[in-house]
This record gives sequence, structure tokens and C-alpha cells, in this order.
Amino acid sequence: MAARLSVAHATRQLTSCAARRPSPFIPATCQRWQRAPLERRLFSVSAAIKAKQYTEDHEWIELSADGKTCTLGISEYAANALGDVVYIELPQVDMDISAGDAIGAVESVKSASDILTPISGKVFEANSALESKPASINADPEGDGWIAKLQIDGEPEGKMMTKEEYKAFTEEA
Amino acid sequence: MAPSRGLLHTLNAFLRSVRHKPPRRKYSTFSETLSNPANKAQTYISRSTDPYLNLSIEDHILRTSSPSSSILFLYTNRPSIIIGRNQNPWLEVNLRILRPNTDNDTVAPETNIGNVDLVRRRSGGGTVFHDLGNVNWSITSPRLSFTRDKHAEMVVRALRKLGVSRARVNSRHDIVLDQGPRQSHRDPDPEDMHRTPYTSSTLFEGSGGSGGDDGGGIVHARKVSGSAYKLTRHRALHHGTALLNSPNLEFLGSYLRSPAKSFIEAKGVESVSSPVANLGIGNGVFEKAVCGEFVAMYGDGNGDGEGNLEPKIVDNSYLHIPSVKKGYDELRTADWTYTQTPHFTFSLWVMEYRIQLSIRHGTVESVDFFGPGTAMLLAMPESRANDLGLHELRMELLGRKLQDIGGSEWEALAVGMSALRVFMAKKVGGLLGVPGVEGFEEEVDDR
Repeated sequence: MAARLSVAHATRQLTSCAARRPSPFIPATCQRWQRAPLERRLFSVSAAIKAKQYTEDHEWIELSADGKTCTLGISEYAANALGDVVYIELPQVDMDISAGDAIGAVESVKSASDILTPISGKVFEANSALESKPASINADPEGDGWIAKLQIDGEPEGKMMTKEEYKAFTEEA
Repeated sequence: MAPSRGLLHTLNAFLRSVRHKPPRRKYSTFSETLSNPANKAQTYISRSTDPYLNLSIEDHILRTSSPSSSILFLYTNRPSIIIGRNQNPWLEVNLRILRPNTDNDTVAPETNIGNVDLVRRRSGGGTVFHDLGNVNWSITSPRLSFTRDKHAEMVVRALRKLGVSRARVNSRHDIVLDQGPRQSHRDPDPEDMHRTPYTSSTLFEGSGGSGGDDGGGIVHARKVSGSAYKLTRHRALHHGTALLNSPNLEFLGSYLRSPAKSFIEAKGVESVSSPVANLGIGNGVFEKAVCGEFVAMYGDGNGDGEGNLEPKIVDNSYLHIPSVKKGYDELRTADWTYTQTPHFTFSLWVMEYRIQLSIRHGTVESVDFFGPGTAMLLAMPESRANDLGLHELRMELLGRKLQDIGGSEWEALAVGMSALRVFMAKKVGGLLGVPGVEGFEEEVDDR
């Protein structure tokens, strides 16, 4: 598993480096190569606001386009590590939360693990589908298996990582 | 050298005499010792038998201890039923016999154990029974190097050194004793904590739990220890029971079989029941053996290589540690014990009618009536529910916390012109009424 991940990781790094690095074989005057990096940078700046961010506790958050709300869940790595999830304690809607709070818990193989929020705000929706189908958090932790939607207040606290940084973080561990 | 030592001694004696709150020092030392990264391995034994206090001290250890340390904590509780974090007490426990002496509406006592505490712990897993013949072992260690079996294997090593050759770890991470005759001529690897010479090759493990019965009436293994876990970012807490000399095994069924079970459909975690047995070892002998194995695994924390770690004693006075007290008070609230229950429905036929309650966060969120007879699938028309006095019953229950409706209140609800309503309230109350909860809250305020 780790080997496969690191191969994928290396491949992705290679491809993204290749795309960013101007090729030495193409003259600098080439229009296509001058424009392309500029567009790419613009795109990546706007995307960074909405891209998923990960915590060291293996949660992810994804901000909405307007930056006022976010969706929170646990990472695929965490879902795999926990094993078969049998119950998810969801946060109550309208609950006020502060960064670092446990807003729920996941139970798998006799183990309770807290779900922490890296950001303050208020819960406005909990994924009630997880109540009757807790296993969907194993099947799609970063999609259908989301846990809560939050109205956010301020910035995330603590170290937040991009998908690539998080992948490297879990591989170190 | 001598004079300066003498001066220091005098100074220390003086400081000791002016320190007006000596106990405080002891508790801050407990937290400081736990959090000091130099103390890689620590062992503690509790002399308190209060399950709420022992679980709170355990939680304090989990939250306070240095991330790289390993801590062993041993404790024995007075008779109590400990449910898992995401379990349903109405489903797991025969609530009506927990307080035989304090409530006059309980059923006649079936056992002579007296009061039994009901405690919801913070870890996952199923319901267990504790009493003075059961020693709980708990290990908090770094999460990265943790596996679900490693400490159960450690306890099995301790048991085998005490001559319990039938002990092994099963597929549910519990410790069982193999039953019956020797199964193989060749001894399995003595280092293999998952197999003994008595382990049956036709073991039926997995969904059936600790391999109870093969259908032919032969019990392959009896459970002596059950495991549960709580995981945090850096730490893993693994705790387990160890049935040593419980005099109450014959009563476990009375406590752990709920009369309401067949009427409840619940989310959350349901217990897997297993045949159990005592190990027949003294508490002190077991504690010593587990400490020995712990030291063999993690060292004695002194770095002197002597391997003679003397466990520190904790007791009731540790309730003065603010964060222990906070956890203690929280564990004792009816909110934590009952309101934390995952969503469930309760459905019961009374004569030709059916009443269905939906309970979310411990609160009655809906009350529905069905019937009579062939109309069993259809909700009863409001006008009919009104005529039968059922609408009134519904209004009495909606929005109430189920644990707040005691046996006497159910009695009070079982009145009126309608025999149906009287029967319904009586039957539902008999199955769901929680005796002694009122007293539960008062005890907290006493402290």
C-alpha cells in the first residue's frame, strides 16, 4: 500500500514538475510557452481557496466558493487506518464550535476516535445518511462520507496541508 | 559538604513546614510526572473502587501523559455495568434491578449484589460487568506503534507465566480460555499468544464472538477479558477486564439481558455476548504479573535496567485534581449515561394496537399509534387516537427525556377512561422506565 502510494506520489510530482518547468528545448520566444505558465498560476491561485485542506488529525475541510461555509470529513488514510466503521456520532445542528473541539466521534473495531474541527463556527448540517449507513465512510470518506457542514468564523487554526503535503505527511508516519 | 547539606536540609524542613496545603503538591506531582517526557514508562494502581473516578483518572492519563510514554493503570471497581460509548442502556441492561434498595417501584431483587452503577465509558465496544473479583488493566501508549493485539498479548504472557496455559487472544482482541481436551500432539509455538494446545481447529470465530458453541454443545472457549480502545491524535488507550474471582458470574445474565430488547431497534453498537469464566487468580498476584510483563515490554522508566518498577498508588483523594473532577462529574450525569444514546425506536403491541416511540438524543421525538388489527400498518386516525386517550399520552411524552420519566410517572400516565391507554402506559413504563434516576442527579450535587 505504502509502496503504491509513494509511486503514485512520485509520478504526480514528476508530471507536475514537468508541466511547470519551461522546457530548455523550446526557445524562450515561443508564445505558447510564455503564456501557459501565467494561466496556470492564475488558475492555481483561485483554486487554492477552495481546494481541500487536511489536518494532522486526518480531517479534511473544503471551503465553499464564497468562503463562508465548509464541509468537513475524515481522510481516506484515516478511514483505512480505523478499519470497519460501525457508528458515527454526528454533531448536532446549530451547535457552536471552536477550533480544536471534538465535534463527533467514529467507532470502529471497539475503538472510539474523536473527530476534531480545525475551524470555529456553527454546524448547519450533519450527514444523517451516515446514521443508517456508517460503512459509507469507509467507501467514500472524502465524498459521500462527509460528516458535517459548517458556517465558518475565521481561519483554520493549526497546521493545514494541501493534498500533496498531507500525502507526504502520512507517508512519513 | 556536610555543613551545606545540613543547611539545605534545614531549609527544606522549613519550606515543608510553611507549605500549608501539602495535598495539592501530591496532585500536581501526578500530572507533572505524567507529562514529563523523561518518564517513559509508569505504572499506577488505584485503591479506589469508584468506577466513575477510575475511568476519569484513566482519561486524565490519556490526555495528560507525555506523547512518547507508556502508562499502565490497574483498577478494580465495585459492582457496576460499563456500557460502550455508543451503546443503548435500555437495550443492553436490565435497568430495573440496578437499584434494588432505593426505589420502591423496582421489581423484586433477583440477586444479592445490591446497588449496581451504570456507567457509560468513553471508549468503544460492548457492555461489561465489573466487580471486586475483576481487575481492569489499562495501557496508554503512543498511537503510532500501537496495535489492537499487543497489550492483550502482553496480558496473556503474564497469565501463562502464572500457569494459565489455556489463555490466548482471539480474533476480537479479547482473551479467552480454551476449553476441552488437548487438540494437537505437537505443541504450538509457546510465543504464539493466539494459539494453545487446546485451541480447536474447528473454531467458529468472527460473528459469533469468542467461539462459544460449535452446535454440538461443546464450549470451545470462555472469555476472561474484553478489550476496548480510545484513540486520540498521538495516543492509544487500550483497556480490558480480567475476570479473576467474580462471585457474580451466575447473575450476569440477569443484569445484561434487557426485557425491552425485543422491542427496540437501535443504531449504534450492540454487544456480542460470550460465555465467561473466572481465571481463579488473586487480584494482587495478577496485578504483579501484569506489572512484570509491562516492565519487560517498556522498561521500568528509571533507566537503571533493574526492571523493578514499583507501581504508584492512586486513591479517592485524586478527585481533587480539577480535570479528574470535571471528567468525574460529567460521567455521572444522566445526560452522558442516557442522552448520549444513539437514535432508537421502541415498538410494542398492546391488544390490537401498536405504539411506537422514536428516541433521539435520549428525547422522545415522536409517538405514533397503529391499528387496530388489520390496520396495523396504518397510522391511527387522529380522531380515534383522541377518543382512546392516546393523543393525550403522546402530548405527555413528546419532547421529554426518556430517562426523566421514572417508574412512578409511568404509573401516573396509566390512568383514564381508556383501558388501552392504561395498558400501554403500564407496559411501556415497565420496559423503559428508569428507576432511581432522580437520586442519580442528587448524588452529584452532594459532592
